Parts: sequence; C-alpha cells; structure tokens
Amino acid sequence: MFQMQTVAVLYADENDRKLWDQAVAGIPGLLNITVKGSLPASLETLRPFRGTLRVAILSAATYSGHPKVAERLREICPGIEILLISRDDSSPPLKPLFADDIRHLAIDSQQQGGSREYLPVVVSMLVERRPWEVGSCLKEGTAVHSYQLVSSEEKEALICALEAALQGEGEEMEMLRQKGALLADELLENAMYDAPRGAHGNRLFRKGERRSMLPQERIVFSFGFDGETLALKLTDNWGSLDPHEVLEYLARNEECDCIADDTGGRGLFIIWRFLDRFHIDVQPGRQTAVGGHLQLCSSLDPESPRGFHISQHEKEMAA
Amino acid sequence: MSKTSDAPKEMNQFQHDYFVLLGTIDAHSESFLKGLPAQVRHPLVTFDFSKAGRINSMGIALLLRCFKDIRAKAEIRLEGLSPMHSTLFKMTGVFLLASPAKDGKEVSA
Repeated sequence: MFQMQTVAVLYADENDRKLWDQAVAGIPGLLNITVKGSLPASLETLRPFRGTLRVAILSAATYSGHPKVAERLREICPGIEILLISRDDSSPPLKPLFADDIRHLAIDSQQQGGSREYLPVVVSMLVERRPWEVGSCLKEGTAVHSYQLVSSEEKEALICALEAALQGEGEEMEMLRQKGALLADELLENAMYDAPRGAHGNRLFRKGERRSMLPQERIVFSFGFDGETLALKLTDNWGSLDPHEVLEYLARNEECDCIADDTGGRGLFIIWRFLDRFHIDVQPGRQTAVGGHLQLCSSLDPESPRGFHISQHEKEMAA
Repeated sequence: MSKTSDAPKEMNQFQHDYFVLLGTIDAHSESFLKGLPAQVRHPLVTFDFSKAGRINSMGIALLLRCFKDIRAKAEIRLEGLSPMHSTLFKMTGVFLLASPAKDGKEVSA
C-alpha cells in the first residue's frame, strides 16, 4: 500500500499540469507542484515530505525548462527515484538523462490513446521497489514459459520455442515473431557472453563461442504471449550490469552518426528499441534481470525512443 | 551462415560485385564477412539480403566493419531487405554506409 505523499509531480505550468492530469489521476499519495518561476522555491515545498517521498515525477516540460532540477531534487531528497514523463512526440534525447542519471522514462503514447493505467502501475513498482515481472503485463491466466540454460547450444531451440508460441498469420504476427526472435537472441547472448565477468571485470567468454553454464551459474529465459502482448525476461545471477553504463550505452547508440562497428551496448540498444517498454533490475553481484514487453499491434514508431526503467537494488528484491 | 553466390548474368554488364547473404548473421559470420572486402573488384557492390534471416547486434557490428572496408573502394547497395532488416539498419546506422535499392533497376542505374 502507498503511504501519504510518497510521490511528487513537478509540472512546468498550469497547461503542463492539465496535459498530465488524467495520466497521473490514479496515483495515490500524490503531491502536485507547479513550478512557477523560481525552481528552488518550488522545490522547498518538498522539504517537509522528504521523509516519505520515494518518487519524483518530472514532466518533460519541467525537465527541459529547468536543467538543474534533478540535481536540486536530490539535494533535498537523496535517494529519490526520478521518473521523467513525456509524450511520444516530444521525448527527450538521452544524453542529458545520462548526465543526470535519470533511470526511468515513461512515454505516454498518444497514438495508442495514452494508457491510463500505465503510470500508476509503474509508480507503484518504483515506490514499493518491486522488480518488473514478466506476467505483470499479460492477461490473467496467461502461461509463462521458463527455461534454465545448460549450454549455449540451446539458444536456437529456445528461439524456436518462442516462435512456435507466436502462431498466427499476417504481417503483424510475422513482424512480432521476428522481433521476438531477435530480442531472445540479444537477451541470451547478453547473459551468456557479456554478464559473466572475472574478478577484474574482464569478460570470461567470447561472443559466439560454444560454452556450458558454470556450476553455480543460473541463466533463466522466460516469456509469455496472451494474443496481444509478448513479454520476455532474461535473468542471470552475475549482477554485473551497471545501470549507469546502460544509460550510457543507450545514449551513445542513439546518436545518429553512430556507425562505429565496435560500439558497446548495441545489443541493449536494440532490445530497448524493439520493446515497447524496457526494464532492467540489478542486484550488484547477485542478479540481473532484463526484459520488457511489446504489442502485436504496436503503433509506436520504430525510430522513436521507448520508455525504460533501470533499477538497482542493494538488497534482495521483494519478488 | 552466410555465403556469396555468382552475380546474375544480366548484372555483370554493369561492372559490379554481387553477394547473396544466407541465413542468420551473427558472431559465426565473422570469417565470411571479414573476407568479403578482399573479393570486391568493381566500384559498385550489391548485397542481396532476400535470403538472410535474423541479424543480431554482433551481425550488425560485422556488417558495419565489412561495409566500412568496402566503402574505401566501392559504393554499396542493399537489395531484398525485409521490413525488419530495414528497421534494424536504420536504427543502427547501416544505411549511412550503404543505400537500400528498391529493385534491381536502381542498382544498375
């Protein structure tokens, strides 16, 4: 359950507030603040609630109009999770988000009618420090298939199992199958070859090499499809992914002139861009979970940025 | 797996190299793609992707490396791209090195 005033929303002005009124309507414990002129003065109104505030939501207009807002917010409420909300036609470039270490971006798609449930659900997840679960965006009763990898040789069989679960005719279904196969490929490669690290952070395995999982290694691939939404998740027990590094990868690959063949994190960038929403949960040294979902009839422009949630939990996660 | 095929006869008159890529393009395509630039003899190179399947991030890295080497001596055209290939190439900068051809006529123009 939410506590009182656990979430603050900062709007740029009254028009901005009207723009987001409905999308945030279902969030309990909400403190609405409209920044009128002075940012420091507006942020001071948060100080009495610093003990309970867990999440600060910044509208894209607030963020672009006040470049120091993230830094100032953290001065008042250290450890607060910052969620940037944007319309799909005005989503911000990632470089400033990387610089400000803003790890949560929610893009409200007007083409999809704007999801009224999306923000309350995601804010609840952040307030309660809950990880994203593969079944959370699927219809109730949808089967979630999970496979624990023993060898890299199983990769193609797992991709075939995913494709087999996406039965159906038509261009949209064919596109979903191809996207699903690529996402599974990237998730599995990432877990098998990028996650395993030595004591000095060095990669233990070369991309594409045949390998068996180590005795204590646990890589689990899960997916579910409810006829409209495909959700995928890959969990490894290395916990070697650095959330700040993920943001850097996404920002670097987003640059239009990025044609370097050795750009790091291209796989994560592809995963982000092919999913409708992208989730990463890291417990350093213990576990990394990467996944998200995509719609069969997604009207999102493949070229436009997607929402992401990159969380780091020092202790074991709730679920 | 990837491999080349002989250029279709009608295209040889336009003095270009023609490569057909087959199957999945990933880390296992490295030696094949590394060897392609050395095979280029003409100022125009066409890559046919109509028989190519999934291309992952490692495959993209290898294609970018291959295309960069070829670009030093020839123009690159891409044929037979699926919507998935096009989306992927657009978002990863492949089209900055190689242009998509709508059909064979554009390649030979």
